[in-house]
Amino acid sequence: MQNKGKIMLVDDSDIDLKINAKIISLTDLFEETISCKSGEEALDYIKRHLKNPKNLPQLILLDIHMPLMGGFAFLDAYSLLPTSFTANCHIAMLSSTLDFAHIKKSEANPLVTRFLKKPLQATELKKLVNEITLARL
Amino acid sequence: MTPPIKVLYIDDEENNLNAFKASFRRQYEIYTATSAKDGLEILDNLEIHVVIADQKMPTTTGVEFFREIVNTHPNPTRILLTGYTDIDALANAINLGHIYRYIAKPWSVLELHNCIKNAYDAYMANINLGNKVAELEKTNDELNRFIYSISHELRAPLVSIMGIVNLVKLENKQYSDTEYWNLVETCANKLDYYIQKTQQYYKNIKDNSPIEKIDFNVLVNDLINIYALPNRDIQFKIDIQQDIPFWSDAFRLEVILGNLISNAIKYQKTTEPHKQVIINITVNAKEAEITIHDNGVGILQEHMDKIFTQFFKGRIHYGSGLGLFIAKEALNKIKGDITVSSAYEKGTTFKITIPNAK
Repeated sequence: MQNKGKIMLVDDSDIDLKINAKIISLTDLFEETISCKSGEEALDYIKRHLKNPKNLPQLILLDIHMPLMGGFAFLDAYSLLPTSFTANCHIAMLSSTLDFAHIKKSEANPLVTRFLKKPLQATELKKLVNEITLARL
Repeated sequence: MTPPIKVLYIDDEENNLNAFKASFRRQYEIYTATSAKDGLEILDNLEIHVVIADQKMPTTTGVEFFREIVNTHPNPTRILLTGYTDIDALANAINLGHIYRYIAKPWSVLELHNCIKNAYDAYMANINLGNKVAELEKTNDELNRFIYSISHELRAPLVSIMGIVNLVKLENKQYSDTEYWNLVETCANKLDYYIQKTQQYYKNIKDNSPIEKIDFNVLVNDLINIYALPNRDIQFKIDIQQDIPFWSDAFRLEVILGNLISNAIKYQKTTEPHKQVIINITVNAKEAEITIHDNGVGILQEHMDKIFTQFFKGRIHYGSGLGLFIAKEALNKIKGDITVSSAYEKGTTFKITIPNAK
């Protein structure tokens, strides 16, 4: 069986970080959840561990509305990261937005695999992880 | 002291200009020009309140001059002076030059004086109206942006609460069976429904969404899938006659049909063994005719004229009092029409027509 990977949460809300980390741990899909309070923190973590791929996430759940660096700004910065990392990592937007434009913009972005609505549903996450794993095989 | 009234007088005869100055220089700030061209230069550089022009001038007549400045300098009030009662010139002055008054030469000081004062009042009234409109537009714009921002801000913590409820249900089956968690969930869902409706309303008044090709089969089935999920015992009879393309505002159409279909599903009688929703749609080159019929609780006759009013709720308080209001607003935006017929305890039929936008 394949090793369970890591998942990264990027969200400015402490409560949502906690809730989502808990939901993820209940699904037992990942060995570790990396929680980042901002886009900057997430980029910083990734850059620090580029030489240590085993510490890097295979899936990032990214919030849209965040102060300073929002979700879309994070995507711009993310696209400049080395492909050795980005080729093995998926991004799903995770937002409470109802804004049609945001949803469309997320789905149109080639870096984004899926748009997930908050609250995060364990079944939705399982479905997504399944699809990603299948795509890799 | 109020600032002086600025008057511009254009006349090719210097004598007239001097006579005017002599009569009025104590009351007004007077600018003069001997041609339309010079007059325009003054208008470009100063905030003139009242413009008086002589009709008979070489190169450009008074009417021609007024006509030229209708769009470029709409604010100053215009007075035409003329020694001839030429009916064509007069008609043109009113229709094309948008003049405020017509004064026959030779003018009397008193008449012209009153005329200038009234013209200035008209100028101020116009300016004040413009300011008020700008102010209202700004307030309206701010309110809209406030609605948008606050609904986003309200929804984020609400969604966190929904997440916590989810988590409790996942984590501890037994504990989560307590009624309290279900109550919290019901309240959170209800609050979320209001926020979603608020955003629908906001989007409806603000955006002009693009016209798209509509496939009613796809749209209706999608909407039924969304709204009928918890009500699997309802029978749907759908008949859609669409042989030609239909063009409309997809967002608003979804709002309209979504609200009507979800109502037809929501307002069923709990005791009814054969719950039914019938949807008929016919499309032609001019419009789409849509009928949505249910055999649900119906609407009391005395409520019929209030159902499209915001926050009106019937006797059975399932709703927010926003659904039909928003549907009607959206219909107004795309120039559609809605009629309703209903029998209490028997069912309701909504008929809507929506113009084909291409």
